[in-house]
Amino acid sequence: MGKMHLINVYSLSIIFSVTFLFIVIEMVRKNKIQERYSLLWIFMSIILIVLSSSPYFINTLADLLDIVNPPSLLFLFGLVYLLIYNLHITAVISKQAEKITRLAQELALLKQQKGNREKNV
Amino acid sequence: MKILTIIPAYNEEKSITSVIANVRRYVPESDILVVNDGSSDNTALYAAAANAMIINLPFNLGIGGAMQTGYMFARDNNYDIAIQVDGDGQHNPSDIQKLVKPVIDNLTDMAIGSRYISRTSYRSSYLRRIGMIFFSALVAFLTGNKVKDTTSGFRVVNRNIINYFAKNYPTDYPEVDVLVKLHKKGFRIMEIPVEMNRRQNGKSSITPFRSVYYMIKVSISILIDAIRPADSQ
Repeated sequence: MGKMHLINVYSLSIIFSVTFLFIVIEMVRKNKIQERYSLLWIFMSIILIVLSSSPYFINTLADLLDIVNPPSLLFLFGLVYLLIYNLHITAVISKQAEKITRLAQELALLKQQKGNREKNV
Repeated sequence: MKILTIIPAYNEEKSITSVIANVRRYVPESDILVVNDGSSDNTALYAAAANAMIINLPFNLGIGGAMQTGYMFARDNNYDIAIQVDGDGQHNPSDIQKLVKPVIDNLTDMAIGSRYISRTSYRSSYLRRIGMIFFSALVAFLTGNKVKDTTSGFRVVNRNIINYFAKNYPTDYPEVDVLVKLHKKGFRIMEIPVEMNRRQNGKSSITPFRSVYYMIKVSISILIDAIRPADSQ
């Protein structure tokens, strides 16, 4: 093992994930994110905090998976997570787009009906 | 028999007046509905001046969302037949009766006005023809239906399809997609040769790059459609 610097990928990772968790909770508290969309982010930050808290977890995991450089497991983990979360967000957007379309259609139909009624009065 | 002509229009102020006049001339028994898809020009004004019914969408939904609004209107007002004509004047309203007749006679559920089925004077670019042949082959492969003009927006449908479209209409690439969907639901589709005019005004939005992109998008979309359960949207 090389010498351990005070600032290394693990400590940076801890600082980052704690800050991140704090920001997420703060945003939920201020109603900027709905609870249901915050859950995955909260889980993500907790897992990151655990993984970066001690080289033990990450080293053991890396060993099991035959990964030579343990910190790259952190990156892999982050990347896969973002991929999955983006897919989730795309699904949410699609659902919303569909709802917005339906709203616009219903609104336009109602306005037409209303205009018609006023013409006939 | 209540008949409705639905004209989706996005910035068609130059052609909408004559399209409405022509529909009225050749299909006097039909009510006319213009679905103004968030136009930024005076399409709504011209349509109102021509005495058509008009639905103004609050913003641009795209052709799929606009057409579906027309079909929702047709369903809610109990129309028996719906005619779909583009707002740019490329369809010839003098052909509408040819499409309406087989639907009224219950020979088919949907009639499509086709540029390619026999020799008509319509000439199109190479790229466009390649695209058409490709889609045609894809639809034939997926449905066994030999539809030549898969992207034609000149269509007449009966009440069953009106009800179906009011609930299920693809938002993104509707013309080709719909053929696969209707086939799955067991609807009958018939193609009838018509004359098509060149666009009266405005340029087609299709460039070579866009049309290749369009082909890929539509293909993926209908391939996924083919493996999707028939009832889900």
